[in-house]
Amino acid sequence: MLTAVKNQIKVTFISVKYALMREMLNKTTFLMNVIFMILNNASFILQWVVIYSLKSDVGGYSFGQVLLLWGTAASTFGFAHFFFKKSFSLSDAITNGKLDSYLVQPKNVLISAITSDVEPSAIGDLIYGVIMLIVSGLTIPKVLLFILFTISGGITMTSFAVILASLSFWFGRADSVADTGNGMITHFATYPDGIFHGISKIILYTIIPAGIINYIPVSVMTTFDVRLTLLVLAITVGMTALAFLFFYRGLRRYSSSNLMIAKI
Amino acid sequence: MAVIEVKNLKKNFRVKLKEKGLKGSLKSMVKASYRTVEAVKGVNFEVQEGEVIAFIGPNGAGKSTTIKMLTGILYPDGGDIRVLGIDPTKERKKLAYEIGTVFGQKEQLWMHLTPYDNFKFFGAIYDIPDKEAEKRIEEIKELFELQEIMNTPVRNLSLGQRIRCEIAASLIHQPKVLFLDEPTIGLDPVVKDSIRKLIKKMNKEYHTTVFLTSHDVSDIEKLCKRVIIINNGELVMDDSMENLKYHHLNKKIIEIKLAKMADFSNFDGIKVLKQKDTNFKLEIDLKKKSIADVLKLIHSDDLIDMNISNTPLEEIISEIYRDGVKV
Repeated sequence: MLTAVKNQIKVTFISVKYALMREMLNKTTFLMNVIFMILNNASFILQWVVIYSLKSDVGGYSFGQVLLLWGTAASTFGFAHFFFKKSFSLSDAITNGKLDSYLVQPKNVLISAITSDVEPSAIGDLIYGVIMLIVSGLTIPKVLLFILFTISGGITMTSFAVILASLSFWFGRADSVADTGNGMITHFATYPDGIFHGISKIILYTIIPAGIINYIPVSVMTTFDVRLTLLVLAITVGMTALAFLFFYRGLRRYSSSNLMIAKI
Repeated sequence: MAVIEVKNLKKNFRVKLKEKGLKGSLKSMVKASYRTVEAVKGVNFEVQEGEVIAFIGPNGAGKSTTIKMLTGILYPDGGDIRVLGIDPTKERKKLAYEIGTVFGQKEQLWMHLTPYDNFKFFGAIYDIPDKEAEKRIEEIKELFELQEIMNTPVRNLSLGQRIRCEIAASLIHQPKVLFLDEPTIGLDPVVKDSIRKLIKKMNKEYHTTVFLTSHDVSDIEKLCKRVIIINNGELVMDDSMENLKYHHLNKKIIEIKLAKMADFSNFDGIKVLKQKDTNFKLEIDLKKKSIADVLKLIHSDDLIDMNISNTPLEEIISEIYRDGVKV
């Protein structure tokens, strides 16, 4: 069992390494993708600079906390899209029968499928996240929590994408549902949760887990709370288990296809 | 020993029905209707260790669906499968260590990597220790004559070289059964021939059981000793290549060149396939006329040249596809 997990991790890292090597073949495009993503994210902060020049508090967040909120949002997004890029287009793989090659390999189909590609611009998101962390003020516990929540948030975001994409096994093309759901997490995760109330707030901590990915981590990094940290980790484990359950239940309904496919 | 056992295998697909136009789309949104397509209808067969068998049929016959169920890609709706004693639906990963697959229409290699890097990656997938993987890569490199292309990115290889690498990659873990789905699709005759030689060599050297689907009759004729034909989801024939030819060769083709004009159009059992001046190509139905009967119609002094051949296997198979021969 332990050897199998070790071998799976080894293959996953080789797969990510090879995908990165492919992206780096075109040096200019690769660097442009990274740099432009940092600039793109930076442009959003400008609006917050303007807002905080007029107000000192938005939804209970200081300017430093908003920077941390953006940093965590960018790093979790970057982590998920760099390591698990294909989870965000998994619906297409299910609908168009692109899982065949993973099904004939003695490895976990879901992990092999979602780690078969990387998104270079996601490196820009990760770098931007670190910059925001530095700007918001560095402490060792904060850095460690930031790393922990980047990983847990990235995995939760990926699990959410996998659950939505797995609906394709039952309902055919669920790509637009998955795109909308994934987009909503990203959008909501960059606004202070204090501006949301009632049902919308409940939704952000349940159906759209922006609260688990971003709001609670920012709160814990501001004022450490061991119970909230454990809650985030428990939900991450639960979401991951749910993603595997959904995907493998659905896989029994996979119908493949006869499309000509190249792994490029 | 049977390495593949298939009993009463079934697979259905649910296809959404839609009337034409926008109205039809709106109607199907309100109330969708479906049709069940029986892709595989209770198929039974066995494949013995070391056999090279052809599993053929026209498009949509159910051969790819069957091969996908045998390799664990698709879940069957009924029946029982054992490949090397393993049930693909329950122990997909265990089976994957024992079988190799090549889908001619689906690349499994990373295009930007060299064959060497790809083989290393496949070695890792099958948990082969680095030293052992290096040894097997060396072996495969020799067997498939890949020395010159080992360090060229796959995207820069010709289609034939790429297919050679695909087959080589599928052998890195020394599978006991190899599933080849249209391995020679799109290749020129020379490359096709070299791929066939490789499959033969591999079967001989490693004693690998080969399960082949192909629309190319030459693949079947040159590689396989047994043929299973599937049509409309049912087996229509499961026999040795020898028997296939023997039982279905009730027609002969005679090509003759005569010194004088002759007329063969009014004889029962003789069909004029082609005629140019005094050159004839005739198809003889041996149930109605023997070769001797035909020769009696020709004066020996008029005969300049003659060639008697069997009906091409392609025609025999097409006839079986059309008319079906129940096993």
